[in-house]
Amino acid sequence: MSAISARRKRAIALLSLTSIILVTLDLQGSGSASVLRGTFGVFFRPIEGVTRVITRPVSNAWHGITHYNAVTKENDLLREKIAQQEGAAVAAAASVRLSQELLALNGLPTLAGINSVSAQVIGDSPSNYSQSVEINQGSDSGIKVGMPVMNAAGLVGKITKVFPRRSIVMLITDPEYALSVKVINNPEAASPIGDPEASASTSSTTTTTTTIPKPQATSNIPGFTPGTTTMPLTTVNVTVNVPSLTPTLTVPANGALPVRETGILEGRGSSRVPIVRFIDSAQRFGTILPGAPIVTSGGSLSLAPPDIVVGTVSKVTDRLGTAGPILEINLVADLTNLSFVRILLYQPITEQVKP
Amino acid sequence: MLVASVVLGLQTTLFNDLRPFGVMAQVMVLFAACAGVIYGAEIGAVAGLIVGLMYDCVLTTPLGLASLVLGATALVAGAFPYFVRESSWWNKAIAVAVASAFGEILFPVAQALVGLGGWVQWRVIGVALIVALLNLFLAPLLMPVVRWTLKESLVG
Repeated sequence: MSAISARRKRAIALLSLTSIILVTLDLQGSGSASVLRGTFGVFFRPIEGVTRVITRPVSNAWHGITHYNAVTKENDLLREKIAQQEGAAVAAAASVRLSQELLALNGLPTLAGINSVSAQVIGDSPSNYSQSVEINQGSDSGIKVGMPVMNAAGLVGKITKVFPRRSIVMLITDPEYALSVKVINNPEAASPIGDPEASASTSSTTTTTTTIPKPQATSNIPGFTPGTTTMPLTTVNVTVNVPSLTPTLTVPANGALPVRETGILEGRGSSRVPIVRFIDSAQRFGTILPGAPIVTSGGSLSLAPPDIVVGTVSKVTDRLGTAGPILEINLVADLTNLSFVRILLYQPITEQVKP
Repeated sequence: MLVASVVLGLQTTLFNDLRPFGVMAQVMVLFAACAGVIYGAEIGAVAGLIVGLMYDCVLTTPLGLASLVLGATALVAGAFPYFVRESSWWNKAIAVAVASAFGEILFPVAQALVGLGGWVQWRVIGVALIVALLNLFLAPLLMPVVRWTLKESLVG
């Protein structure tokens, strides 16, 4: 009996030690962990597939019982929303096209120029402490770790693990997720730079007199004089506005110039909304109001290209000193109900391997 | 291994879809806790470590972390036979529920210990209570399966 107990204790010690070594190897980014997962996947996927088929009726019955009222209500709301947005979408599409053309004309990167792969979400993380989903496209489709993942609404997350025919997507709400974003503040909140007293736009009116020659009819062609280079003069008064030379720059109070500031978006788990930190509390940026849109900032070090819509500011928590405010974000993508996603085959310049 | 694979299959499909109160029932934790409660700390820990390693292969957390957590959960559950000699099925179900709650709290703590912070929140307590409640009802169903499985392998 004691021999059996000793053998079991040895087994416990061996298994514990193996687990600790595996944790260390995986945290160091060793490939052996991926190999082990891949090998287990080959054995486990068929079992999972069969189980999924067998248990699907139970899942469907459960969803039918628990979500029927919510789905009916949601359908009504969505129909109303679609009706509202149909008109706006046409105008928005035209604006986006114009914007992309302008960016392309100026040689600036646009989302339209980035190849993408569509994928279906085939599973959530089977844990209460991880915010990730599994998709049915992998390295065979050109997907690499770090690539941004979107749905029709906006940014969803990024690729964290890639297998030949599937990938793991870390959602924005995961506490491990961080991304550089920019807040586009409401123009109303922008304040002028320079001397506040001299900030008002000033101009002076100057009247100049310009002489325009009056044609003299000396031929059959009205207004044309053969061999004549000088023409009689007619006096016309022209009013020209000349701006004053006061050295002030004015951001229009109600103008169309949105003010942008960058910060870092961080996930905080499924029960709490993501936040944006490290926003500069500069005077130019003005007061951030709820509803201000948040988009990715892009850049050579950022894993996402610029101008992917992330969400809107839902709450602003001011902090003392130069710490800057903390912004709570309402994500535009509904992460609880993901079906299809699009993976942008984008890598920042610093990550691209030269041939 | 085969029975544990089927249980893992249920975890990743059925119990992944059914999330009462937004919380997933943890049948892998339940399996480890049942092993501890029925066969004691030693067999429970071995079963928990093996089942946990399988669970690790489908999680995105570092490989080996769930193994350690489920091993510890089964070890705690294994204390039950020392305290209650003549136990009934509902005694065991309660012990499994308590051990499940412990395991569910231990998981984010273990994540924080290896540097994956952010999950140690007050929500964890609510999640642990719901998991304990769900496992309380699921334990009588899984205990005969665990008893048969381990009798054929580890104990036998």
